[in-house]
Amino acid sequence: MNRTVEPEVPATILPAAGVAGVREEVRARRRALAVARPYLYILPTFLFLFVFTHYPILKTFYLSLFRWNLATPKMELVGAANYVQAWSSPLFWQVVQNNVLFALGTVPISLALALMSALLINQRIRGLAIYRAALFYPTMIPMAAAAMIWLWILTPSYGLVNFYGRSLGLPDIHWLGHSRFALAALALVGIWKRVGYYMVIFLAGLQVIPEHLYEAAILEGASPWQRFWRITFPLLSPTTFFVAIMAVIDSFQAIDQVYLMTQGGPGNHTNLFIFYIYQNAFRFFDMGYASAVSTILFLILLGLTVLAFRMLHRRVHYA
Amino acid sequence: MPSRRLWRLTVHALLFLAALVVVVPFAWITLTAFKERSEVFSLIPQWLPSHPTLKNFSGVLDAMPFWRYYWNTLVVAFGILAVQLVTITLAAYAFARMNFWGRDVLFFLLLVQLMIAPQSTVIQNYLTLSSLGLLDTRLAIMAPYLASAFGTFLLRQTFKGIPRELEEAASLDGCGGLRFLAYIAVPLAVPGYLAFGLVSLTYHWNEFFWPLVITETSKARTLTLGLGIFAQTAEGSADWTMLMAATLMVIAVPLLLFLVFQRRFINSFMQSGLGG
Repeated sequence: MNRTVEPEVPATILPAAGVAGVREEVRARRRALAVARPYLYILPTFLFLFVFTHYPILKTFYLSLFRWNLATPKMELVGAANYVQAWSSPLFWQVVQNNVLFALGTVPISLALALMSALLINQRIRGLAIYRAALFYPTMIPMAAAAMIWLWILTPSYGLVNFYGRSLGLPDIHWLGHSRFALAALALVGIWKRVGYYMVIFLAGLQVIPEHLYEAAILEGASPWQRFWRITFPLLSPTTFFVAIMAVIDSFQAIDQVYLMTQGGPGNHTNLFIFYIYQNAFRFFDMGYASAVSTILFLILLGLTVLAFRMLHRRVHYA
Repeated sequence: MPSRRLWRLTVHALLFLAALVVVVPFAWITLTAFKERSEVFSLIPQWLPSHPTLKNFSGVLDAMPFWRYYWNTLVVAFGILAVQLVTITLAAYAFARMNFWGRDVLFFLLLVQLMIAPQSTVIQNYLTLSSLGLLDTRLAIMAPYLASAFGTFLLRQTFKGIPRELEEAASLDGCGGLRFLAYIAVPLAVPGYLAFGLVSLTYHWNEFFWPLVITETSKARTLTLGLGIFAQTAEGSADWTMLMAATLMVIAVPLLLFLVFQRRFINSFMQSGLGG
C-alpha cells in the first residue's frame, strides 16, 4: 500500500461519529480511492478511445447492415445486401485489383531500395549523415506536398520526366492521364516518400546484430556476400517481415496522392480503397454501402496487423 | 588496401546516386518557385531561373488565406500534442506501475488503436462530430487523436524502466503518487516524450485526409489541405510557379527543423517503427 499519496478528506464530509469511527471511515475512503486510482488515470484515454475508435468500428459494421443513401434517407435494415452489392460490383473488384497491383508495385521495390540504402549507410563512411538526411527528408514532408512536387515533375511536355524522356527518344507521355501508367506514377510517389522511413527501421534492425558474429565470420574467411546471406539476412528477417507488412498496410491506406493527383482516374484505374470509400460516403452519400466497404478494409488490415504483431513477438527467439 | 578503397568508392557512388534521385525533385520545385510564370513553359529544361523573383510567394499570400491555414495547423498540431501528453502520461503510468483488475484486457483494447487504419473509422467519426455540431472546427480535426496508443505504449516502456526502489524511497519521503509522477517519472522520461512529440507533430502537420472530410470552409482548414484546395482552383492549377511556391511555403519550416535536428527526428521515427 502506498501510504503517502492519499489526498486529505475534507472534515465537513466526515460523519459526526466518535474519533475511532471517523478514522475507520477515512481508511475506508482511502482504500476505495486506491482501488479507483488506476481507473481514474486511464479514464481520459479510454473516454477518447471509446468514442473515436471502439464505437466507430462497431457502429460502422452496424451501419453496413442498412440501406442509407440519398434515395433512402431513412435507414432501412437490409442485412448483407451492401456486401452482396460489393461482391457483384465490377468496380469494387477493380478497386481491389488496383490496390493489390499498387501494393505489388510499391512494397518489393521500396523494401529492396530501403534495405540496400540501410546496408550502405551502415558501412560507417564519411558523409553518412548527409546521405541519411537526403534519403529520409521525404518522410518529413506531407504527402500532399509530395503530390504537388510530382504533379509538376510528371506533367506533360514541361515536366522534368518528359524533358529527359524525350532526350532519350521516348514519346511525350501524359503519365497521370494514361490508363496503364497512372497507377505506376502513384506508386513511384509512394516509393519516393517511404523508402527513407523504411531504411531507418532497417538501420535500427542492423544495429542490434552483434558485432562479434561478423568478426568471427571474418576470421573464418567468409566473404562479404556470405556474411550478408548467413548473418545479416537471417537475423534481419523479422525486421524485414515487419517492414513488409507495414508497407502493405501503407499501400492500402494510400489516399492523399490519389485525391490530389488522379481523383481515381482515368477510368477508375487508380481508384484505391480509401478513395472508393470517400467517394461513396461523401460524394454519393451512400453511407450504408461505404460502411460495408470500410468494414471489409478494416478486416483486411486487421488480419495483416495481427500477422505483424505476431512476427514482432517472434523476433526475440532468433538468437 | 586497394580493394577496400574501391569498395568505399562504390558505396559513395551508389549512395550519391540514390540521394541525387531523392533530392532532385525538391531542387527542381525550389528553382521553379523562383521563376517567372511563363519561363516554365519551355520544351528544353532550364534549371536556373533567368530572372529570379519572389512574386510567386507574394502571389500565394494573395491567392489563399495562407496565414490562417498556418495558424490552424499550429493550433491543431500543438493542441493535439498538449492533450496527448496528459492522457498518455496518466495511462502509461497506470499500465506500467499499477496492478488492477482487467489491466491486460484494457491494454489490449488500447492497442486496438494501433491495429486499425484510422481511415476505416472516418465515416462514423464524421457522423459523431456532425451530431455534436462540431463540423468545420479545429476541435473536430483534433478529436480522434486525443488518446494515443503509440504514445502510451512508448512511455509505458520508459516508466517500467524506473527502479521500484526509487519509487519506494520517494514515497517514504512524501513524494508518492502524482507527485512522484510529476517530479521524478516525467523528467526521467524526457527522451521518450521528445520522440513521441516529434512524431506526433509531424504526423498531424502533414495530415490531409481527415481535415478534408471534416472541414467545409477555410475557417478550420490546415496548410496541407489549403495547398490541395489551392491546386484545384483555376489560379493554382494554371500556374506552376505559384503552386510550387505554395508547396515550398508549406514544407519550409518543418524541413528546416529537420535539417537542424536531423538526428533527433530520425531517432524518433526509428522508435515509432519499433513501438508498434
